[in-house]
Amino acid sequence: MAEWSHSVGELVDQLGRLPGIGRKTAERLAYHLLRVPQAEALALSESIRRVRENVRYCETCFNLSEGPRCSICADPRRDATRLCVVEQPRDLMSLEQAGAYRGLYHVLLGRIAPLDGIGPDQLTIDHLVDRVRSGSFREIIMATNPTVEGDGTSLYISNLLSEYALEVTRLARGITAGSVLEYANREILADALNGRQKF
Amino acid sequence: MASEKTDALVLRTIEFSETSLVVVLLTRQFGKSSALAKGARRAKGPFEGALDLLSICRVVIIPKSGDTLDLLTEAKLQRRFRAGERNLGRLYAGYYVAELLREMTDRGDPHPDLYDLALETLEELDGETDVRACLLRFELQTLRLLGHAPTIDRCAACGSEVPEGGRFGFGVTSGGVLCAACRPATRQVVLLRGATRETLRSLLSEAAVSGPPPPVPAELHGELRGVINRYITNLLGGPPRMQSYLAAASPTIDGQGRRR
Ligand SMILES: [Zn+2]
Ligand SMILES: [Zn+2]
Repeated sequence: MAEWSHSVGELVDQLGRLPGIGRKTAERLAYHLLRVPQAEALALSESIRRVRENVRYCETCFNLSEGPRCSICADPRRDATRLCVVEQPRDLMSLEQAGAYRGLYHVLLGRIAPLDGIGPDQLTIDHLVDRVRSGSFREIIMATNPTVEGDGTSLYISNLLSEYALEVTRLARGITAGSVLEYANREILADALNGRQKF
Repeated sequence: MASEKTDALVLRTIEFSETSLVVVLLTRQFGKSSALAKGARRAKGPFEGALDLLSICRVVIIPKSGDTLDLLTEAKLQRRFRAGERNLGRLYAGYYVAELLREMTDRGDPHPDLYDLALETLEELDGETDVRACLLRFELQTLRLLGHAPTIDRCAACGSEVPEGGRFGFGVTSGGVLCAACRPATRQVVLLRGATRETLRSLLSEAAVSGPPPPVPAELHGELRGVINRYITNLLGGPPRMQSYLAAASPTIDGQGRRR
């Protein structure tokens, strides 16, 4: 490709730093932004600016929010007896998109990963315990990732919460619906058996 | 370069991109490997969630030379480390095993015996074996297999015999037991009980590399934990990250990892 002008080159560099975007894609996106009406291209830069200026963590649950409290915490129709604990705001988004849960959330902003130097103090666990102490929750649903560190984080928190009169549950795991037992590996079958439930 | 099949233990995973992981593996046949696993963060594909910390996998690796990451093309899960679902002390002990293996092994320097010891240790941690004895055996056998074992029979400084029985000096930086003549002139000396020397000897014996770990008397545990912590810290040039978490495997914390 011929020489880009300096400012176009800079845009390609910026786009290329985004996750999942290689050099070629960055060039295609930059070219696209040059061709669309100016207002459309500027609307993109404006929304990036607004997001960075206005979006912060909810003071209650650490979800992403435009004000001090996020839309979920501010919604009086949500079930305030259930609290679902996730690692990241994107996990909360996935659960919301599934549409099966009407309770509240708490975002840890990470997981306990001592080998990476991340201990419980670097997460929002203190806030979680405060919420549980002063709230009216009957069930805490641990929805950390089903990894060794995710499970460890859930176990740490459920130990902390064991002195409160509430139920701590965790997400089921195991066989994907629509697949067949024959092809599930041993570990997945073990998970499914451990998490079996009554009809 | 041709691809190689080997058994491997996952010592660390690092998010590399939206879809890929860099994993540090201890392989049975080729020693430590840092490898790029493209697409490993997707649920489907050639890795299928196999590359979790402390998982044991059968992998296909394309080794690269120099500083280049090896390429991981396939990983089939054999066994997952599950202690984190029920006991924090056991989980943190597993993390410690991963850290020691990562710090102490090298690329292109295979130790199948150490690999087998690691797998047996993780299985014990995942079961009901006493965590403290299990870790001490793992540490001392790892030191022995990698050529870093402390001397127990002869003075680490002058090589003369050190009589059995009674308290004795252990030189953390000099590499083991010290005779009465060398002791006063040596820095970083820990005084240990005679029975501790016996236990160190049994933990270091070749026979103790497999099977149930040799018993560690409860009254000696604190002393052994302390001296091994210092010995390993000196060897690595600093304390392992998990060392401070090992308290979670001590009796001051109950089976669920709650502080008393
Ligand atoms: Zn909120
Ligand atoms: Zn001597």
